[in-house]
Amino acid sequence: MAHVALHAHTRTEFGNGPTRRLRQQGMVPGIVYQPGGPSLTLALPGRDLRKALNEGRTGVIDLVIGDEPARPVLVKDWQLHPVHLGVLHVDFQQVDLTQEVEAPVQITLIGNAVGVRDGGVLDQPLREVVVSALPDSLPDHIEVDVSELTIGDAIAVGDIVAPEGVAIVTDPETVVASVVAPSSDVGDESSDEGEVETTDAGGGDSPS
Amino acid sequence: MLMPKRVKHRKHHRGRRQGLSKGNHVLHFGEFGLKALEPAAITNRQIEAARIAMTRRIKRGGKVWINIFPQLPFTKKAAETRMGSGKGSPEGWVAVVKPGRIMFELAGVPEPLARDAMRLAANKLPIRCKFVTREDG
Repeated sequence: MAHVALHAHTRTEFGNGPTRRLRQQGMVPGIVYQPGGPSLTLALPGRDLRKALNEGRTGVIDLVIGDEPARPVLVKDWQLHPVHLGVLHVDFQQVDLTQEVEAPVQITLIGNAVGVRDGGVLDQPLREVVVSALPDSLPDHIEVDVSELTIGDAIAVGDIVAPEGVAIVTDPETVVASVVAPSSDVGDESSDEGEVETTDAGGGDSPS
Repeated sequence: MLMPKRVKHRKHHRGRRQGLSKGNHVLHFGEFGLKALEPAAITNRQIEAARIAMTRRIKRGGKVWINIFPQLPFTKKAAETRMGSGKGSPEGWVAVVKPGRIMFELAGVPEPLARDAMRLAANKLPIRCKFVTREDG
């Protein structure tokens, strides 16, 4: 995968006020973690960063800070605004291109499952797997063919064929996708129980 | 109707709803979601009405996740009662929702159907909502 270039400048002011002013100018605060060295705080143009993130979240980025030479980094984490989902902050990890790294890679399901055609529902409990590979060999996503799945079948991490040079680290028994039977409850019209799951035992946002 | 099985205290203060949602602002389970754009106390009746509207529209095809739970009790004084004489009796349950929270998630249906189902669900809620997909995040 070709490297994406990003230009940034060092950030010297910290705290709420300066960071808010920075975001108003269309910049995004960020940090670079260096192995064996101090972390570098920086500011990047928000539009360029969004473009780089859209190119692929596992690709190597050539980060140029000020006049320094480009350093290869991977996106380690990023924070989004809860409502408009703009990037609020980004964390980069500087990498050595000759050493393997572990990174999460998105799973993309392809194909139309037999079980779905028979009325089942395709469930995907696992969205990404952690892989180990050289930074340049990290795939943007891993495709998993689900076209053979019938109702009750499941695909586990161990069934995924990793691309060459990539090793999957996630537990091989973890289920990636399964086809579950549709809800058989067709009784009381007023209850209308479909396949519904309440996921939040802790409730909503706590009142402040 | 959703409500806690057992609570430590029957009556709670209602609190204030400042700021944005602290978590759960990206999809965790499904392909599509309904995001709150305003703060509100959503009652268990409203959650149930939204769920029924959604499941009827998708005709039980997909899978629905409800990410909010009405765990806060609210009280009401009886009609024509003079002020004072203590707090009213528990009347119902609400889920406190702040802007950005994904309240419902949906999977296993095509996007136009999911969008329409979420529109019907949003009509049952007292706040403005937004339909979100995995690509948005």
